[in-house]
Amino acid sequence: MSKAVGIDLGTTFSEISVMQGGEPVVIPSAEGGNITPSVVAVSKTGERLVGQVARRQAIVNPENTIYLTKRFMGRKWGDKLYSPD
Amino acid sequence: MEKLHRTTNETEQYFLQDVKMTDPRSEENEQNKDIFERPEELSSPADLSTIKQDLVEARAKAQEYLEGWQRGQADFVNLKRRLEQDKADAVKYANSGLIIKVIPVLDDFERAVGAVPASMAGEAWVEGINGIARKLFAVLEAMGVGRIQAQGENFDPSMHEAVGSVPGEEGKVVMELATGYRLNERVLRPAKVLVGNGEDDKSPMQDDGS
Repeated sequence: MSKAVGIDLGTTFSEISVMQGGEPVVIPSAEGGNITPSVVAVSKTGERLVGQVARRQAIVNPENTIYLTKRFMGRKWGDKLYSPD
Repeated sequence: MEKLHRTTNETEQYFLQDVKMTDPRSEENEQNKDIFERPEELSSPADLSTIKQDLVEARAKAQEYLEGWQRGQADFVNLKRRLEQDKADAVKYANSGLIIKVIPVLDDFERAVGAVPASMAGEAWVEGINGIARKLFAVLEAMGVGRIQAQGENFDPSMHEAVGSVPGEEGKVVMELATGYRLNERVLRPAKVLVGNGEDDKSPMQDDGS
């Protein structure tokens, strides 16, 4: 039987919970934390990275690391993107 | 002055409302009652179809209840299994909060031990401090804490955090700025490292003979 989950997709962190015994329970990540950074990346070997792992390699793989996605939602590719000047 | 006490009827209504039950004695429900609660109608032959219909409905309901109950049971089994897993994890990593708070102390000891002034090297008291640092780490090691290997290794974001990109062999950890620690399999703090970007290291200070 499929379960319904609730996702808080935040600009910097995301969280997900599931109903267990009538109560919502937060699902911890593999690293043990309740919240996960909203970062995704594709590594040089083509591996897809999500969360803490993606954030830790952001500096050495900036072209293929994506974060603050919510700030760009609704824009078109090629729009003058937000940049703090 | 408002009424302080409810009458018996009002109390009944109040509670029945809560459990969404209908009062079996109320007049409106006469029509909706089960055929078996209206024995005077059972004796008439025209009711065979009503009885058949009731039977079909009752069977459908029974099936629905059975499935609901089975789903509930499966849910319960899953919940129990999940709770046991959570409990085992909680016990296994119970100390992680404390150890994370102790890690800055380990950092300080590492720095202190590495910065002994030349004039004091070898003195008994200094050696004593070195001993204390080693002992602290041995105690933590016995509880499952381990240092994360970083220097010279391939950069692995599951264990290392890149804080800078420097000339050096591409994809390899050139320098470790802060030691990473793990508790059993869980990473408590990733090692802070500088990662090589593939450019030649033109500085006179090469990294030690690797």
